[in-house]
Amino acid sequence: MQEVLTAGLMVGGALFMLVAALGVLRMPDLFLRLSASTKASSFGSGLILLAAAAHFADTGVTSRAVATIVFLLLTTPIAAHMLGRAGYFVGVKLSDRTVIDELAYQYDLRTHRLASRNPATTTVETDSVSPES
Amino acid sequence: MTTFLLNILLAVSWIALTGAFTPTNLVIGFVLGYSVLAMTQRLMAPSGYFTKVPRVISFALFFLWKLARASVRVALTVLSPRLNIRPAVVAVPLDVRSNGAISLLANLITLTPGTLYLDVSADRRVMYIHTIHVDDPDEFRRAIKDGFERRVKEMLE
Amino acid sequence: MTVTDLALYGVMPILALAMMFAFVRLLRGPSLPDRVVAIDLLTALGIGTIATYAIATEQTALLDVAIVQALVSFLGTVAFAYYIERTV
Repeated sequence: MQEVLTAGLMVGGALFMLVAALGVLRMPDLFLRLSASTKASSFGSGLILLAAAAHFADTGVTSRAVATIVFLLLTTPIAAHMLGRAGYFVGVKLSDRTVIDELAYQYDLRTHRLASRNPATTTVETDSVSPES
Repeated sequence: MTTFLLNILLAVSWIALTGAFTPTNLVIGFVLGYSVLAMTQRLMAPSGYFTKVPRVISFALFFLWKLARASVRVALTVLSPRLNIRPAVVAVPLDVRSNGAISLLANLITLTPGTLYLDVSADRRVMYIHTIHVDDPDEFRRAIKDGFERRVKEMLE
Repeated sequence: MTVTDLALYGVMPILALAMMFAFVRLLRGPSLPDRVVAIDLLTALGIGTIATYAIATEQTALLDVAIVQALVSFLGTVAFAYYIERTV
């Protein structure tokens, strides 16, 4: 029973990571890649660490695995946020399949402050340019 | 908060009485203590503990459900030969104001596959979210506001 | 041969394949943040590999390495992001 659980968690985590890596390879722009890779680091490694906890069935190992998972869940979104922000400042291009970009021109490039125009009035920016093509 | 401490005290005494210090026993003690406290709550000072705990649990279940659904969808997108994506950066107006609530919301949004939290405006009115597939930005806004934001608000504010 | 041993035969190649994908992205770029994403993914895959290896060799001490890697990779990514943002 315990072995099946270990094997299942391990295989699940590995497949999760494979899908994420494939996403990082195939996605057309930085933000899509980020959105694929953050899940790998949090859930893929999380599942494999849980597999280790299930395999050893020991309080010390379980607490270490859970602490690492909590740490990963707390930090990966922060890292992704900082990278995405940095990417926006460097001027990384969004994929040409992007439908709407409501963040465009909202950053003040000198002071690094982010404005908030009323989103209700600025919804349609690039949307009018044929969304399906 | 005191009710929570009382609950822990009951869980610890359950462990002491049964004499087996295992994580499973701790959980059992906690659940038993919780039900005892819930039954006797009219005898004590009123506390928000009994509305909060079910809310946190239902939130966790809701998040896991969202997570499972979104993971499968994103996995299918990545594996499909023609990437079926319509990415967008959507500005979502915020109702939550406190630091804790905003950062919890941001973390949850990034952890859900398919959406990525980018930034919050300096005046904390708007959160910018990147999403892999959007059909209607207003629909997306409503989904975030009615789903995650409402529940985070209920839980923390 | 147990179920876990059998699973290890599948998991290790899958992780190696994922690492190869991430490495291709690291080489191709095109921008610096893209490469940082690839490095971040590689360290995450490293954490997974170390945990798998801990199971394979029955060494619980290896899990400490996974913890350290998780801590360091976060600091590394944040430092890279900070550097990229300041160089504009």
